[in-house]
Amino acid sequence: MVSFVAVEELSLSQAQELRRGTVVLACLALLRTPQYGYALLETLNEAGVSVDGNTLYPLLRRLEKQGLLTSEWNTDESRPRKFYRVSPDGSRVRTSLVREWEDLVASISRLTKENG
Amino acid sequence: MSTSTLTERYVHEVVRRLPADQRQDIAQELRATIADTVDGRPGADPRAAEREVLIELGDPVRYAARYTDRPAAFIGPDLYPSYVRLLRPLMAGLLPVVAVVFTVLDLLDGRGVGQALATGAGTLFSFGAQLFAAVTLLYAAADRMRRPRGMLASAAAWSPEDLPEVRQGERTGTAAASLAAAAHVVLIALVFWQHTARPYRLGDGTPVEVLDPALWSGWIWPVLGGLAALAAVGVARVAAGGWTLRLAAWYTAAQALFSLPLAWVLHRQLLLNPEFLADATALWDSPDPVYDGMALLVLLGAAIGVFTAFRDARR
Repeated sequence: MVSFVAVEELSLSQAQELRRGTVVLACLALLRTPQYGYALLETLNEAGVSVDGNTLYPLLRRLEKQGLLTSEWNTDESRPRKFYRVSPDGSRVRTSLVREWEDLVASISRLTKENG
Repeated sequence: MSTSTLTERYVHEVVRRLPADQRQDIAQELRATIADTVDGRPGADPRAAEREVLIELGDPVRYAARYTDRPAAFIGPDLYPSYVRLLRPLMAGLLPVVAVVFTVLDLLDGRGVGQALATGAGTLFSFGAQLFAAVTLLYAAADRMRRPRGMLASAAAWSPEDLPEVRQGERTGTAAASLAAAAHVVLIALVFWQHTARPYRLGDGTPVEVLDPALWSGWIWPVLGGLAALAAVGVARVAAGGWTLRLAAWYTAAQALFSLPLAWVLHRQLLLNPEFLADATALWDSPDPVYDGMALLVLLGAAIGVFTAFRDARR
């Protein structure tokens, strides 16, 4: 028997697993306009894609390393900030991820309806 | 600004774990991000807000690990079970036996019970610590030796054809390799232990080392380094399930590092402590050919080992 609290915890961590990949897609979608880390985090959380800073900031670096994002320092304001934007490769990846996402939503909703 | 100290300390703790060429950039971005986040919480006391923000970012060690793809483990999950499997019999089996043997030797030498127990406890502690350190370092080295840089690249290139053939008698081969690695580790620990514990007692009761103490300012280091490398290769071989060309090359280097200095030391008769030899007259009287013979045996053993490694790797 699994207690109620344990079930709650399990569903939280499973939901987190489910959300993990979607953060990348959300970033690739949002960063068509350049944005810096903290502002992007706020935008994501307001849009309902909840993510922690300690996940998002390193993720941006890794996406940049993979060539999906490019970055530029903006020193116009008193606090210099690193702005990220989607590269041409990133746009291509976004397009295919969006397609993948739509397929997944369709398949999963079909599955859950049939077996629900 | 006095509030910057906590942030600075955090940023420093993160970036010092990152590759040098990325440090400045990541530090600057992290500083700005922390400041932005603090500013995004108006009304709160800025110092308290800064503290809160850093707590949310979490342990800087773990945070830094998210930037790199490097495994954050000293001994990875592949080798850990075998590490425990080797460590357990050494610590729970060999170590107590050695300690008891030395306690009994002290008693037979006519030393008091208190003195003998102290010797036993000392052996337990010092030999145990050396054994533990040797095995742990060995596995950490093997973990790094086994896989080339860029694990992801090699994982992508894997195909089912890479699966090793199931060979008859493979289990004994693995067991033999494990045993050899264990023997190398024990040998290393023994060399250190005889240096610190001075187990041999001359006729007048003076404790001396068995090996020539002069070796410690020279030849012992390549020999020990070679032994450690041999043991690491042995573990990597067990993990890989047999010889590979890469491992055979490592093995050759390790054998050269171990055997060549050892053969030289034997040939020049520099291995054993003269004080010990003078007491153990049977060894003292050994003629030159005995030493040269031992040197040749060491070289021959190394050559056979290298030959077998390459032969099996090419199969």
